[in-house]
Amino acid sequence: MKATVIKSSEPKLLPGDFAIWIFIFAELLVFGIFFLIYAVMRARNVELFDQYQNTLNREIGAMNTLLLITASYFVVKAVHAIREGNLQACAHWLYASLGTGTGFLILKSSEFYAKFSAGISMDTNTFYFFYISLTFFHYLHVILGMIILIAVLIKTKRGKYSALEHTGVETGASYWHMVDLVWIVLFPLVYIIR
Amino acid sequence: MNKLHSVTTLWLLMMALTISTYMVGVLGYSGTKVVMFLLLTILIKGTIIIRDFMELRGVSLLWRVIMYGWLGIVTLGIAISYMADA
Repeated sequence: MKATVIKSSEPKLLPGDFAIWIFIFAELLVFGIFFLIYAVMRARNVELFDQYQNTLNREIGAMNTLLLITASYFVVKAVHAIREGNLQACAHWLYASLGTGTGFLILKSSEFYAKFSAGISMDTNTFYFFYISLTFFHYLHVILGMIILIAVLIKTKRGKYSALEHTGVETGASYWHMVDLVWIVLFPLVYIIR
Repeated sequence: MNKLHSVTTLWLLMMALTISTYMVGVLGYSGTKVVMFLLLTILIKGTIIIRDFMELRGVSLLWRVIMYGWLGIVTLGIAISYMADA
C-alpha cells in the first residue's frame, strides 16, 4: 500500500493573535516616521545635534540595550517552554524578562531624572525635543509591554496555557519583541551616530 | 544546531554588536564608514529580532515584506540623511 504524502505549501501563520500584529504595524509606522524626521532634522542642525548628543549618558543607553535584548531572549525561552507544556519554566522566564524590563525602566527613569533636574526639557532645543519625545514614547511602550507580560504571567500561573493552546504567550512575546526592535534603531540613532 | 542553542548564539551576537556600537560612541568615531557600520549592526540585529525572535521566518511574504521593509526603509532613510551632511 502506498503512503500518501501531503506536502503543505501554505505559509506559517503569524504567531499570536492577529490583532496584535495590526497594532505592531501601526506602532512601527509611527516610530519609523519619527526616526526619519529625527534624521532629517539632524541633517539640518548637525552641529547642534552632535553637541547635545555628547551630553547623553551612553553607558545607560548601552546598558538599556543589553537589558532589552536580554528580556527579549528570555521571552523567546518562555515561548519555547510553553510549547513543551512546561508552565513552570514559562513562568520563570517571564519573571526574568519582567526583571530585566524593570531594570530598563529604572535606568531610563534615572536618566530622565538627571535631565529634568538639570532644567532640561523638550523646549530646551530641537535635539532635546526629539531625544525626550522619542525616548519617552518608547518608555511608555516598555511599560505597556510589561503590563501585557504580567497578564500573560498571571494566566500562565493559573494554568490557562498549554503546549496546544498558548496564543496569549505568543501575542505578548510579539509585542515585546516590537518594543525591542524599536530600541535597536533608537539607541544608535540618538546616542551614537554622528 | 539545536533551536535553543541557536537562539542563545543569536542573543550573544546581538550583545556583542551592542557593545561594539557603544565602543564606537565612547571612542568618538564618526564619518561615512562608521555610520555604515552602525547601520549594518542595526540591520543585523533587526533581522534577528524579526526572523528568529518574532519567528516570521516562513510566514506569508506580505508580512515579511512589511517588517523587513520597515527596517530597510528606516535604515536607508537614516543613511541618506547622514550622507547628505557628510
